[in-house]
Amino acid sequence: MAGFSREVSRRVFAGELKSSNYAFRDGDPQHQYAPQYLLTPTGARCNRVFLVGTLTERDDIGGDTEYWRGRIVDPTGSVLIYAGQYQPEAAQILANIEPPAFVAVVGKPNLYQTDDGNVIISVRAEAIQEVDETTRNQWILDAARRTQERLKVLSTTGPAPVSEGFSTADQAQPASPAMDAERALDHYHTDIEHFRQMVIGALLSLKQDLGRPAGEVRSEPQFAPEAGPSEKKPDSSKGKAEGGARAKPKGNTLSGWPNEDKDEVEVFNLSKKS
Amino acid sequence: MKEAVDQIRSRLKEQNIDVPEEEISARLGMLIEKFRVPEGEARRSVLNYFLKEHGVVPTARSSTEKVKISEITSAGRWVDLEAKVLDLWEPANDSISQTGLIGDGSGSIKFVKWTRAGLPNLEAGKSYLLKNVVTDEYNGRFSVKLNRTSRIEPLETEVEAQAAGAGFQPTKELKVVEIEEPGRWIDLRVKVVQLWDSSSDSISQAGLIGDETGSIKFVKWARAELPDLAEGKSYLLNNVATDEFQGRFSVKLNRTSHIQELEEDIEVGSQSVEFSGALVDIQKGSGLIKRCPTCKRSLSKGICGEHGKVEGTYDLRIKAVLDDGRRVQDILLNRETTEHLVDMTLEEAKQMAMEALDHEIVRSSIENKLLGRYFSVKGPRVDRYILVEAIEEMAPIAEGDVDDIMHAVEAI
Repeated sequence: MAGFSREVSRRVFAGELKSSNYAFRDGDPQHQYAPQYLLTPTGARCNRVFLVGTLTERDDIGGDTEYWRGRIVDPTGSVLIYAGQYQPEAAQILANIEPPAFVAVVGKPNLYQTDDGNVIISVRAEAIQEVDETTRNQWILDAARRTQERLKVLSTTGPAPVSEGFSTADQAQPASPAMDAERALDHYHTDIEHFRQMVIGALLSLKQDLGRPAGEVRSEPQFAPEAGPSEKKPDSSKGKAEGGARAKPKGNTLSGWPNEDKDEVEVFNLSKKS
Repeated sequence: MKEAVDQIRSRLKEQNIDVPEEEISARLGMLIEKFRVPEGEARRSVLNYFLKEHGVVPTARSSTEKVKISEITSAGRWVDLEAKVLDLWEPANDSISQTGLIGDGSGSIKFVKWTRAGLPNLEAGKSYLLKNVVTDEYNGRFSVKLNRTSRIEPLETEVEAQAAGAGFQPTKELKVVEIEEPGRWIDLRVKVVQLWDSSSDSISQAGLIGDETGSIKFVKWARAELPDLAEGKSYLLNNVATDEFQGRFSVKLNRTSHIQELEEDIEVGSQSVEFSGALVDIQKGSGLIKRCPTCKRSLSKGICGEHGKVEGTYDLRIKAVLDDGRRVQDILLNRETTEHLVDMTLEEAKQMAMEALDHEIVRSSIENKLLGRYFSVKGPRVDRYILVEAIEEMAPIAEGDVDDIMHAVEAI
C-alpha cells in the first residue's frame, strides 16, 4: 500500500551511503513508477535520505542551464549532492549558500555505475536549507541511533548461507527490517564491526564537539548568516570542526573502506562528464 | 590465529578451493589487527570472502528433517512438512505467488510461496509434502517460506488437520487504539469515517474507519467479495487482519472477514498523540491561503470545490511532513500555531505577499525557518494528519544523550 504514503527519509552516515552499491525497484521491476531503493550495507532501504552536515564546496557544473553540485561532510565522510532544473527551489537555495555552512538536505539517493564498473552514490536534493550546529548535532545523534538499530538487527540476523534461496532475488519481498538486513548481509557480507566503529567514531567526535565552548555560543547563527563563515573558521583551525573533520575522517574511511580512494577519483570524472 | 587459518583453509577445501595459507592469514590478520575485527567475525568474513572470490555462494546446510508444525520454534530452519492447505489469502505483493495457512495434526502455520520460486500452485483443501522449506519468524509468529530450492509433492492420503482458525488465535474484539501489531485477526466495531478512491483493481474499497478511541485505515480486497461499506454507517467487522506499513497500522478485510451493519451510531473520537522528527517538507497549500467564506475550504485559484468562484478570506497555515527516519507524519498547523511558530502574523504575511506580488513567498519564508529542523508536536490525529496544538523545536542534545547511544552501540 505504498501508494498512499510518502517514503521515509532514512538516516545514513556518508561513510555508509558511499559504500552502498545495491539498488532495486520494489514490486514489478518493469513498472516505471515502482519506487527505487538503495539498500545500504546495514540494511537501510532508502528511497529518500535526510542528511545534515557541512557544505564544504558548491559549484555550478552545468552548461547552458544551472546544475549545482555540493559536497556534504559528516564525521564519517562526505557525499555529493546535486540540484538542477528539475529541483529549482533546491538549486536556488544551494546557489545562495556560501560554504562552509551547516545544511540539511532531503533527497533521493542516486546510484551511478561508471563504464569500468565503479559505483558512485550521490543525492539528488529535493530540499535543502541552511541550519545551525544544534540541528547538525541532533542529526548525528539521530543517524547514530538509526544505524545502531540497523546494526542490532543485522547482528541477530542469520548468516547469509541460510537465506540463499530467496534473498538473492532481485525482486522485492515485503519489507521488514529483518528482511532488509538479510538482503544486506547476503549482498554485502556486511562487516558489522566496521560500521559499528563508524558510529562510535561519529559519536566520539560529536562528544568532542559538544565539549567545545564554541558550539554553545553558536546557537542562533541561522538569523545572522554573514556571521556564519567567520564563526566557523576558528573551529577549523582547531582541526576538529567540520572543515577539519573532512580531512580527518576521510583518513579513517580510507583505511576502513579500500574503494574510497577510487570513488573519489571517479566522482570527479563523473562531474566533468555531466 | 594459526588455528583459525587452518579452519578456514579446511572449510575452503571442502568446496574444492585451495587458497594458500599466507593469503588467508594476511587477510585475517588485516581484519583482526588493522580493522579491529573480532576474531569470530573476521573468520566468517574471510571465509565468505574467499568463497565469494571463487564464485561459491555458501550453501552449506544440513539436510532437512521432517517436522510437525508445532515443532517449528525457530527461524531459519530448513524442514520438510506434510500438511494440508487450509486457506489461501490474497498475496500482498507481486513477489509472492501464493500465501495462506497450512495445517497438520499439531497445528497450523502461515506459508509464503515466492513468485521467483517457480513452484506449482497449491490448492485449498489438498494435502502436500513440502520439501526443503525454510522457517521464518516475524514479531514472534512463525511462517514457512517456499523458495526455489523447495519442492512440492501432492499426497494421496489427506493430512488430518484442524480446520482453519481452530489452531489459530481466536479473534478478539479490539478498540482501534489497541491495534499495535500486524498479523492479528480481530473484530472491530467501527463507523466508516471516509472512503477513498481505490488505487488498484485488487482493492474494492479503502478508507478510514474509527471508534471512540481513534481511527485507522482499512482495505477491502476485491477478491473478498464482501458487501460495500457506506460512509457514515457503523459496522461490526469480524475477522479482519491487522497490517502495518512503515509504523502505521491498517486492517484488511478479506474472504474470511464478515461485515454486519449496526443499528447504533458509533462515535469516532481521536486521542492526542505526540510525534517527534525532522521537518522534511513544507507542502503546497502552506503559507498564505484563501478560504471559502461559506465552507472554510481552501480555494484553488479562487475557486471553492463546493461553491464555485467566491471572494475568499485570507488565512495562514502550514501543511508539513515530520519524519523520524522510520515513519512519516503529516502535520497541520492552524493560523494561531503558525503565527506563533514562524513569528509572523497574518497581516505581516499579507504585506509580504503584496510587496512581492506573490503568495508563494510566504511559504518559502516558512520553509526557510523550519525545514531540516527537529520538532515535537502534539495534537489529535485525524486521518493522516496530526492537528497540531503544540509544537516546539527539540532541545539541543546533551552529552548524556550521546552516552546513551554510545552504550547501545557498544552493546551490539
